[in-house]
Amino acid sequence: MTNQVIADRLEAGIQEVVARWRSAVRSDQRIRSDSALSQRELTDHVPQIIEEICDLIRSDQEPSISTTDEARANVYIRIRQGYSGPELVWELSLLRMALLRYLAELQSEAQLDIDLDRYVRLARILNLYIDLELRYAISVYTDIASGEASVEDFQA
Amino acid sequence: MGGVAITQDQFDRFVDDYNEDYLLLLKRASGRHYDCLVTSFSILKDFYDLLCTLYDNGGLVYHRMPYPFTVRADEQLLSHLGFSEEEIANIYNFLPYVKATMGIELQEYIDSGKWELCFREEKQ
Repeated sequence: MTNQVIADRLEAGIQEVVARWRSAVRSDQRIRSDSALSQRELTDHVPQIIEEICDLIRSDQEPSISTTDEARANVYIRIRQGYSGPELVWELSLLRMALLRYLAELQSEAQLDIDLDRYVRLARILNLYIDLELRYAISVYTDIASGEASVEDFQA
Repeated sequence: MGGVAITQDQFDRFVDDYNEDYLLLLKRASGRHYDCLVTSFSILKDFYDLLCTLYDNGGLVYHRMPYPFTVRADEQLLSHLGFSEEEIANIYNFLPYVKATMGIELQEYIDSGKWELCFREEKQ
């Protein structure tokens, strides 16, 4: 029940998390490919990623291949937008930090009952999700670097 | 050590088949041909998970990436796939259609694994 309430609360805060993450990406010198993107293009699939993470929190389920579709969609679109591998890694790192910070802030809301054990459990779901996306991204970028993948089909 | 169960050539064909089927289902949704689409999407999601699992296990590469399977509509992705604004709106409308007719979100239905096969009635 509590996980349901926490997931609903996090879902209600998606716009706030995305705004903070977007601001962090825009001001990060290590990410350059974002400069050509509109706000909508930059935001891209991030709200859907958070929604999918909320679904996992709701069902207290660790992410797996079948429950990380939005992560793979994000990798596909970022490659199409011309992101390099390191840029995507930094962007995901910033998303991880934005989400962990937001979850930490929710600890002050008494009705959510987020003690340290629960925070660790929630952070584990979130970290595993981002790690699976990173793993997928590294595999695809490796295929591209080795000339195996045909990027013309999905680049802008 | 487990070996790769299929060859790279077979994997490439699977990815091409998946991409073709995925586009076909989206085209049906874009034309508001929603009949049996829930079943088709559920089966295709199974196929997509299989492709991702094979790829994740290593030993295979993407010569062509599979289109990302997502039930959360994405305008950028759909326009990249060649759909017009009106067609994208029709694809968006598929999700509330599923909820209204089946009383369950498409994602929940797919995750449940309890799919009812859909048979088209033959005209007499």
